[in-house]
Order: sequence, then C-alpha cells, then structure tokens
Amino acid sequence: MARMKFYCDVERCIECNGCVTACKNENEVPWGVNRRRVVTIKDGEPGERSLSVACMHCSDAPCAAVCPVDCFYTTDDGVVLHDKDICIGCGYCFYACPFGAPQFPEDGAFASRGKMDKCTFCAGGPEQDNSAEEQRKYGSNRLAEGKLPLCAEMCATKALLAGDANIISTIYRTRVVNRGASVLSRGVSYQNAELRAARGVKGKSSLND
Amino acid sequence: MIGELIDGPLWYIASGTFLLGVVWRLFSILRVGVAQDFAPPKGNGPAGAVRTVFSRFLPRHPVVTRGRLQLIAGYMFHLGLFALLFFARPHVDFIAERITGTEWAVLPHWGFIIASEIAFAGLIMLWLHRLLHPVTRLLSSADDYIGTVLVFLVMLTGCLALAQSFEPLRLLHLFLAELLLIYFPFSNLMHAFTFIISRGYTGATMARKGVNA
Amino acid sequence: MTGFFSPPPLKGILSLLLVMLLLPAFPSFGATADLEQSVQPIQIPNPASDLWREVRQRDAAMTGSTQALGVDGGVLINPTGEKWRQFRMQQLLPYGGYALGAVVLILLLFYTLRGRVPIKAGMSDKKLFRYSVYERMIHWFMALIFLFLAFSGLILLFGRSLLLPLMGPALFSLLASASKEGHNLFGPLFALALVLIFFRFVRRNIYQKGDLTWLLRGGGVIGKKHVPSNFFNMGEKSLFWLLVFVGGAIAASGFFLLFPVFGQGRVVMELSHVVHGIGALLMLSVIIGHIYIGTIGMEGAIEGMKSGYCDLNWAREHHDWWAEKCEQRGEVLDRDQPISARGADALGTPSGQMSEEAGK
Ligand code: HEM
Ligand code: SF4
Ligand code: SF4
Repeated sequence: MARMKFYCDVERCIECNGCVTACKNENEVPWGVNRRRVVTIKDGEPGERSLSVACMHCSDAPCAAVCPVDCFYTTDDGVVLHDKDICIGCGYCFYACPFGAPQFPEDGAFASRGKMDKCTFCAGGPEQDNSAEEQRKYGSNRLAEGKLPLCAEMCATKALLAGDANIISTIYRTRVVNRGASVLSRGVSYQNAELRAARGVKGKSSLND
Repeated sequence: MIGELIDGPLWYIASGTFLLGVVWRLFSILRVGVAQDFAPPKGNGPAGAVRTVFSRFLPRHPVVTRGRLQLIAGYMFHLGLFALLFFARPHVDFIAERITGTEWAVLPHWGFIIASEIAFAGLIMLWLHRLLHPVTRLLSSADDYIGTVLVFLVMLTGCLALAQSFEPLRLLHLFLAELLLIYFPFSNLMHAFTFIISRGYTGATMARKGVNA
Repeated sequence: MTGFFSPPPLKGILSLLLVMLLLPAFPSFGATADLEQSVQPIQIPNPASDLWREVRQRDAAMTGSTQALGVDGGVLINPTGEKWRQFRMQQLLPYGGYALGAVVLILLLFYTLRGRVPIKAGMSDKKLFRYSVYERMIHWFMALIFLFLAFSGLILLFGRSLLLPLMGPALFSLLASASKEGHNLFGPLFALALVLIFFRFVRRNIYQKGDLTWLLRGGGVIGKKHVPSNFFNMGEKSLFWLLVFVGGAIAASGFFLLFPVFGQGRVVMELSHVVHGIGALLMLSVIIGHIYIGTIGMEGAIEGMKSGYCDLNWAREHHDWWAEKCEQRGEVLDRDQPISARGADALGTPSGQMSEEAGK
C-alpha cells in the first residue's frame, strides 16, 4: 500500500495561507482549531522561510503512544487518524506531538478542552466513508473519493506536496538536484559566489559587489 | 433501552412524584393551621414572618462562635449547590428544554466548576462533621445519611459527566437525580421548602407577642 | 536577490549526498588529483536542510511567527515532546508500576514476617484525648480527596495497559473520561485540604531532639528496643513534611496542567507533568505505607482518628513523652467516660499539642 506523506518545499512556500484556508473550508474545522498553519522563520530577516505544517502522519506516532485511551490508528495508507468518540480530551497527544498538530476547540480552563481535532490527511475518521457523521466530526474524506488533501491541491506554488511518499520524494529529489545543478552551472537559485569563484564557474557574483 | 427509560418515563415519574409529593407535604403542613391566639396582638405578625424568613440567613452569635465550621461548610454547600443547579449551562439547557422553554444567564464553565468545588468541599465537610462529632452522630438518622449520600452521588456523577460527550455518564447522573427527586418529598430534604414555613411561623408568633426574634 | 542568503556552513548529510550525486555530472571536478587536495570540501548550501536543522532546535530555540492563533503556534518542531513521551512511556509507567508493586509486596512481607504490631500491655481501660473533631474532619477530607485523585490518576496512567484490554475501548474511554473530569474537579480540593492540614498540624510536626534517634533505629523496627517520641514521631513528622512539599509540588504542577490558559507552552506542561507524575507516585507509595500502619499494621493506631481518643497503653508505647505529659497533667479519662467538652467542640485542641511547644 501507499504511505501517504506531506512535504513542504521551503524554497517555494510564499506564506499565502492558501492551504490553511482550503483546509478550514473543506473540513469545516471548529473555531479555534487550525489543522494546518504556516510558520514563518526569521520573518523579515535574511534567510526568511515559510513552512506549512499540519500532522506529519508519523510512522511511529508519539501521539498514539501516549494517548491514555489508545484512540489513534494508522490506516493502510499510513495516515494517522483518531476516534473522537473515544478521545477524552486530555491533551497528552498535544504534549507529545513534535509539530503541534493536535488542537482543541475549547479554552481549557479546568482542562476542559473538548475532543481533540487534527489533520486527517483528508481521510475522515473511523465512521462509514463519507457519511454525514464522519463529515460532521472529521471533515471530508477525499482519500475515499480517490483525491488527495485539498491543502496540497490548492497550493499555488506547489510547495506543499501530498501523496504517496515515494512519488513525493521523487518530485522533491528532482527539485533538489535541479537546484544544486543550477548552483554549479548557471549560478541561479543559490548565490554561492565563493563556491563559483573557487571553481571558476560563471554566474552573478556577489563577492566583489 | 435503559437509556430511553431514564430519559423518558422515569423522568416524568420522578418529576411528577417530586411535584405532587412536595405539594402534598406542604398542604398537609399548612392544613394543620395555627392555633387561634386570643391575646391582643402586640405587633404585626405577617411582617415578623417575612422579617424572620430573611433575618435567619444571618447566623446568631452563639452559632458563629460554636458552630463556625458547620456554618461555613453549610453556606459553602448551599450557595455552591444553588449556583451550579440553576446557573450551569447543562442544567439550564435541560430545564429550558423540558420545563420552562426559556433560558437565562449562565455561569461560564469555570464558574460552574468552582461552584461545584465549593459545594463539594462544603458537603464533604458537613458529612464528616455529622459522622465525627459525637453529638451530631447520635442525632443523625438513616434519613440524614440517605439524603447526604444521594446528593453526593448526584453531584459526583455530574462531575464525572462533565465532558458531556459520553451518553451513559449523563444517563447515570440523570438516573440518580431522578432517585433524589423521588426521595425528596418524603425526607428531611423538604427543608428546602419548609424552612420558609418554620421561620415564618416562628417570626409571626413572636412578632405577635411583641418579641423580637 | 544577490547576496540575500549568506552561505551557511556545510553540516547536513543531505548536502553531502547532493555533492556525491552531482560529482559525476561535472567532469572537471572528478579526476585531477591536485584539485582534490587543494580544494576544501565543496560547500553546496541547502537552505532546506539548514532550516530544518534550525527548527529542530538542536542548538537554540528558533521560533517563527504564524497567523494561527494559539500558544506555541510559532514553534515548528518541539523536540521535548519526544523526550516527554520517552519519560512517560519508558520510565514513569514501568518504574511507577514497579514502585507501587514493590511497596505492596514489602508491606505484605513485613506483615507475614512480623505481623501486626500489638499493644504489648494490652488495651487499657483508660484513654487520652488526641484529635479534635476539626482535626479528624480535615484528615478524612484529605484522605477521601487523595484516594479519589490517586485512583482517577492511576486509571489515566495505567488504564491503557491494564484495563483497556479487559474493558474494551468504549467502556474504558467512559471510565477514563470520568476519571479525567473527576480528577480535574477534585484537584483544587486537594490543594485546599493541604492548606487546612498544614496550618492545623504544622506546630506539632517541627522536628525536635530525639527524632534522630528514632530515625537511626528505624522507628523501632530495627532492634527490639522501643524508641520514645512525642505527639508525632519522626516518621509521622516526615510524612507531614513530605505531604507539604511533595503534595505542594503535585498541586502546583497540577495547576499548570489544569489551566492551560496563561500562555504556558508545551514545554512547561511537559515539565509539570513530569513533576506531577513522579510526585504522585512517590506520595502514593508513602501513603500506602501510612494506610497500612493505620489499618492492619498496628493495633490501636486508628482509634485516635476515629473517635478522637486513643488508648492510654497505645500512647505509652508509641508516643510516650506525650503520654507522660498528659498523665502528669491528669488528663487521663476512663474508657467509657462520656464525651468531654473538648472532644465535642469542633475546634478544640488537644492540650498535648501545647505542651509540645513547652517541652522543646
Ligand atoms: C492539586 C491537586 C491536583 C491537581 C490540580 C491535579 C491535576 C492533574 C491534571 C490536570 C492531570 C492531567 C490529566 C488530565 O487532564 O486528565 C493530572 C494527571 C494525573 N494526576 Fe493529578 N492533580 C492533582 C493531585 C493529584 C494527586 C494527589 C495524585 C495522586 C495521588 C495525582 C495523580 C495523577 C496521576 C497519576 C495523573 C496521570 C498522569 C498520566 O496519566 O501520565 N494527582 N493531574
Ligand atoms: S499528531 Fe503529531 S505525533 Fe501524531 S502523527 Fe501527527 S504529527 Fe505525528
Ligand atoms: S486528547 Fe484525545 S486523542 Fe489526544 S491523547 Fe488525549 S484522549 Fe488521546
């Protein structure tokens, strides 16, 4: 079976938040919950990069390991899902998850958080595929319709990739190789002037600017 | 199956029993009436009745000093219970849906929890006092314990059902509340209504005699 | 865009791989030996891998900004989450379980070997006033709340491994949800009980001369000789201070977990949980011992907490300094003497506690 993965290409992400909006709209996510968010690192400084994150659908998922009621399960596609009927809203998955994916709809005084909500890779939940019940609790189940997550589909720059891990990594590998080649041969993309100067490779040089 | 029973028929039986029982109890007390007092009144009876109903909310001096613990715990329990019973979202929703049809202002969730914590602290303290104090221990009857335990269980199951997402927990809470409603009119718990009658009676007779009580 | 990105140093494996991948593509690089020697390792920057390395926060905290509301939204990767997971699943759970099991086992062993500690002189027909109504109330208040919190907490901690396989997910999550809500509601009451207990009992629990001897002789367990003590012995005093400090830590960390509304991030919550878990299991192990002594472990021990009066012979054998003082003051009562005024007064204070101060 396929193993579904997200990958966000930082060289392409332009922080348009299109993925966030697409997700909210497609899944009718409760207020206060962001299944996906775009984080900008070094905002306004050299080296600024933006990254769209949601659940990474970990192979050895920390959230599933710590859940006191064991409500997570991994689908045949490698998507990590959870059962809201069983979740007690303890927040442990939120502590354990490296990516801050699990979210809660309530404010939390006296640790009243409501049921955990997180990215489902647009794969719904344990209910009957595409049933009203599933739609209400988990949002849409695009995977069952043979479609990929809407966030990635909507991404204008194709920075956010979603799908079979092998295909995603092939796409990304190709991109990286091309970029690396550009550095050396044409001097675009990465302005490593020093490197080119040392090799006598032509390109726009910032060394002597 | 059991859920439907608790949610439907049992609820009607319980609330009916409660209503009829309370009316019957009050009626039977009022029917006894007050013995005719032929002495000329030295003060206004009804005014005294009203005054005493409220003035007795303030404890008298000996009670403040000697029964400080029961006083504090008593107020904590009753005020907390009042707040959580009538101003908590789930209760208001329930009452509005089944009885009144309209809603009113509710406490925020944390206010609800704090109210129940105060009520719990008061109830447990009062219960322990009843058990541990040699005098109250001798004074207490089975009725007192049944009432306390029932109220405690209703509160406890309510607390356990706070997540409001597990139907069986809600039903358990409702079931115990129904038992409490059925038990209520036939027990000491009636003091929730009869305190007005007893205070009023005392106030009226005393005022009529010109005694400031 | 020239010069916008300063070339970061070569760190990652990815960059190395890239170099190896690209080498054959450029014939000029490959063969010539002098080039290989004179040229530094090729620095091909890979902003992606550098970025990931930075947000992994191996070296320093690197948080970004985000449009998403919520605490910690800017933290892309929180590496302590995994540490917390390891702690909870690989340390707290197994070792906590062993600790509780060991305590029970040791007590069982002790009971079978040494049996119940008897009142050697037998029950007398005299009694001493020991605890007022108020003191007994707050003790049992604390006991009830503590046990409830312990059971509900343990269900959250061990339930998945012990109960879930037996009960099935639907029933167990019901129990877990009830435990969670109950634990969260009763938690602050534990703090209240702690405060009440502290102020009422602190004076009698200040360590004094003789406590060290008691400790060295293991409270009389080591050797046959009896060790004297006052109103509270060294062990009880230590339990008190453990309750104050460890219980205080449990309560404080519990509040951080209970109110995730003050902007504390996940790291604070994880640390709080670690303190809470260790503290709770430590406290519980000790309290199991306390309950053992109070019930099956020692004859006459529970009397004071039940009725407010303890047996004179029991007091002589376990709190002899205190018993002596009471006897000197003529406070010995007959066993079936009716309730004394002090015993009935809710806030009454045993006078032995006052003499404690004087006796120091
Ligand atoms: C002031 C008192 C306390 C407060 C405010 C408090 C609060 C909390 C909170 C918020 C949690 C997180 C679980 C959840 O949200 O459902 C928790 C877990 C827990 N508590 Fe407490 N608690 C208190 C006292 C105690 C005591 C006295 C004990 C034990 C004797 C205890 C044992 C535990 C255990 C074992 C867990 C579960 C840890 C886990 O599952 O990893 N707590 N507590
Ligand atoms: S919620 Fe977090 S820990 Fe769980 S699978 Fe998703 S990314 Fe991994
Ligand atoms: S919040 Fe729900 S899903 Fe997350 S660990 Fe707790 S019970 Fe499991």
